[in-house]
Amino acid sequence: MSSSTKFLTLKTNDKEEFVLDEAIAIRSQTIKNMVEDDCVSNVIPLPNVDSKTMIKVIEYWKKHSEEGISKDKLMDFDKAFVKVDQSILYALILAANFLNDAEMLDMICQEVANRIKGKTPEEIRKEFNIENDFTPEEEEEIRNENVWAFE
Amino acid sequence: MGSSKSDLRSTIYPEPVDHFNQLPDPVLLLIFNKIGDVKTLGRCCGVCRRFHSLVPQVDNVVVRLISISSRRCTASSSLVDDDFEKYSVTHHSPTQVLKNFDEIKLLRIELPSGELGIDEGALLKWRADFGSTLDNCVILGASSVIQPVSIDDLVEEQCGNGSNSLGDGNGETDNGSIPESFYTNGGLKLRVVWTISSLIAASARHYLLQPIIAEHKKLASLVLTDVDGQGVLCMNREQLEELRVKPLSASSASKRTMVPALNMRLWYAPHLELPDGTVLKGATLVAIRPSEQPKREVGPDGNWVAAAFEEPYGTAARMLVKRRTYCLEMNSF
Repeated sequence: MSSSTKFLTLKTNDKEEFVLDEAIAIRSQTIKNMVEDDCVSNVIPLPNVDSKTMIKVIEYWKKHSEEGISKDKLMDFDKAFVKVDQSILYALILAANFLNDAEMLDMICQEVANRIKGKTPEEIRKEFNIENDFTPEEEEEIRNENVWAFE
Repeated sequence: MGSSKSDLRSTIYPEPVDHFNQLPDPVLLLIFNKIGDVKTLGRCCGVCRRFHSLVPQVDNVVVRLISISSRRCTASSSLVDDDFEKYSVTHHSPTQVLKNFDEIKLLRIELPSGELGIDEGALLKWRADFGSTLDNCVILGASSVIQPVSIDDLVEEQCGNGSNSLGDGNGETDNGSIPESFYTNGGLKLRVVWTISSLIAASARHYLLQPIIAEHKKLASLVLTDVDGQGVLCMNREQLEELRVKPLSASSASKRTMVPALNMRLWYAPHLELPDGTVLKGATLVAIRPSEQPKREVGPDGNWVAAAFEEPYGTAARMLVKRRTYCLEMNSF
């Protein structure tokens, strides 16, 4: 008896191919829509995702698709999952956004939010390599406007 | 030349990059919405132009207030002239702090402590829903809370004397009714004080929220709580809309919303053991609705009453409503 499991091939922008159980791949709303609209040929191209990021995404999808896994175990997994370098975190956000996986996007955005919490503007700029594009006068004005945030 | 260019491109993460730059606005906004804390959001405004333009669009904000005057009311005193002036984010009122946020839908404000001073070891929690006036209020109290003992302690206790598992220690059997001693030993009086104090605290909080509700038209959920977890005042979208259409009536005596005439139901258990082993001594639950709009009956399952509290107190409420119900009435005040 042939199994009813269908497999999809996902092709990342660096030409790597990933073969994945359709039931897992449709955690991505983007892929789900493609499957439902029947516009899936043999290979689904993911022009916005590289293979390094896709490996992490698939790791997440597989863990979250495990049958009977406890909430605590998933929480531990998520916690460890986001303990990565900024650059990987952002690649994951972009991937989750493109793949339209709200649950994963939420989880990673929460991690970024946690990294911002309690920091001064200078610390936030430093941590995330953000350029200060205010003039000194503007910066002064904003600081006065939000003086309650700096005390 | 061509090959060296493609080599460069294939370097995946070259130098420090401004990653935020690559994120589309909706994603950046999602991150800001997960920050919640208004102070951090205020600081984010000062990071760069893009942050400055996006932060005011967040729809989820948490404001943690600190106390500038340390006056704290006791359960027996009223909360006359209580005011947001008493609280602030540093030295700025919540209204000032929220001024630039035009899109807030979910707002949670946390007071530094509950208003009611209660005896150490005692439990008092209230939750009230308001529209233009009080919609309902549930109060859970206990004269003391005994945390579950570890198995080692339990064994020791059983070896010592095995007879302390039932009853309330007053020698009265628990038949679901209120024991006589409750009326004479001050137990009932204390519950009445708790109830009135909670209602005063709730109606004072409600009164304070008026300017915020008036300014933030998109609000869909407003919660005013305290760090102690003593009281929670909630208003949902319909209730907020009701207040905008029909302004509150203030109590003549002080800066608070007038409490309408009320129907109350009271349940009491001298000794309530929760499934996790926590024991509430003198556990009391009071469910309050205005006399004039008995919209929801308190059924035997006590759904809306139990939904007022987080576990394990939701379970405590569910257990209490199964006991004998006592009805009381209270005039508007």
